[in-house]
Amino acid sequence: MPIRRLFVRGDDGIASFFPKVFNIIIALLLFILFFVFSIKRLGMEFDFSFLWSFRFRLVQGFTATVALSLASLAVSLLLGFLSALANNSRVLALSYFSKVYVQFFRGTPLIMQVYLFFYIIGTAWGVENRFLAGVLILSIFEGAYISEIIRGGIDSIDPTQLEAAKAVGLKSGQTMRLIVLPQIIKRTLPSLAGQFASIIKDSSLLSLISVIELTQTIREISASNFALFESYIFLGLLYLSLTFPISIYTRYLERRYSYEN
Amino acid sequence: MRIELAGVSKTFSDGHRALDCITYSEDFNALAVIGPSGGGKSTLLRILGGLIAPTSGGVAIDGSKVSFDEKRLIQYRRQIGFVFQSKGLFNHLTARQNIILPLVNVHGYTKTSAEEAADNLLNRFGLAGAGHKFPHELSGGQQQRVAIARAVAVKPKLLLLDEPTSALDPELTGEVLDLLNELRNDGLNIILVTHEMGFAKKACDKLMFIVNGRLAECGDSEMLFTRPKTAELAGFLSKVLEWNV
Repeated sequence: MPIRRLFVRGDDGIASFFPKVFNIIIALLLFILFFVFSIKRLGMEFDFSFLWSFRFRLVQGFTATVALSLASLAVSLLLGFLSALANNSRVLALSYFSKVYVQFFRGTPLIMQVYLFFYIIGTAWGVENRFLAGVLILSIFEGAYISEIIRGGIDSIDPTQLEAAKAVGLKSGQTMRLIVLPQIIKRTLPSLAGQFASIIKDSSLLSLISVIELTQTIREISASNFALFESYIFLGLLYLSLTFPISIYTRYLERRYSYEN
Repeated sequence: MRIELAGVSKTFSDGHRALDCITYSEDFNALAVIGPSGGGKSTLLRILGGLIAPTSGGVAIDGSKVSFDEKRLIQYRRQIGFVFQSKGLFNHLTARQNIILPLVNVHGYTKTSAEEAADNLLNRFGLAGAGHKFPHELSGGQQQRVAIARAVAVKPKLLLLDEPTSALDPELTGEVLDLLNELRNDGLNIILVTHEMGFAKKACDKLMFIVNGRLAECGDSEMLFTRPKTAELAGFLSKVLEWNV
């Protein structure tokens, strides 16, 4: 049944190259057609040409989002790592501080944190640079998720690995550097890459405190010419251009790691 | 090699008393520790390897007392090889890197001489094609042979093995035991916890029989197997040897 083979996986659950490409195109077409049909029903005509005149601002916004995300990734990795260590600490106060931190920031919406921290804590402590405030707020939020990812990585290390490190005569610092850290990195990398995609998307909420990043740029542009739909469709494509490669890379890392179990 | 245990006891923090006043002294080349599961054999081996400290009592190897102070313990561990039941290889490193890491980071070899030592051992242990593989890519028998290679690479004065073959299929058990026998013949001192009675009888000169944290019987291996003195050992042997061919 050659026709059937074009549409379904083989008995081994694996699809070969041509059916894969063919069906990806079908899926994309269905997706796009649904949108186009919805738009036609409303009788709207889209014109994206105005975006060209805003190209410099768009590039600036895009760059700002990338910079914001990268800076937040670095700071949230640091916070997440410290929080994971604190969580496993024998000092109870540290351990509970970390638990409260993770619970609070994972359990409340980012939009609330953005407002609260910028207008109350930011003002009280004199953080006036919006970009810096944005990086801090986003890092504290994402750090709570990263803390859980790293904690999972630490928990997944087999106790025999530590005993073996002891047995060959490694000092505790060497065990951390040569055995524990490399294994944690290897195991958490897929989840951390996925979290980076979340950081990129979540950074859009910083437009609420007027950090001039990609979303804020689009908000300003669409407010000036009322081309709301065109602007936001384009915005979505720009975010996808960042998150899609990361998602492919995450899938690759996940597959590579799953072979090892 | 001479081993002396003076009233070694171990009580874990949950209150479980794993070892109860073990006193023993013996000259041995290969010492097998046998007994029912959960009887304290692995705990004893971990104390001998300097991985945990006894709650009370002392250990001496060739007349020198083992200090269970953490700083001295690191020095002590470096003279001893330890092979775990399974999963003892560092799983983010290849077989070859597993052997090289302690040589370079603990024993101060240069990278080149460590690589040379690792390749020699891999060849000798029939692992020539396996050096670049990660532990999860190796068979259980290969993993244990790499673990033994890593342990003997540092030229230990004593090799400790905690049930090195109990996670293996019978045909893989044979290849690991053959290797151990060869090392013993080369003069390496071995203490192993094992359920392989044939190996304990034929390849080990001395035997300890541990039940419920106590040393129930000890002596020459051959002798204990043919004429056990206690009813406990006789009962244990008749059970474990019941289906032997």
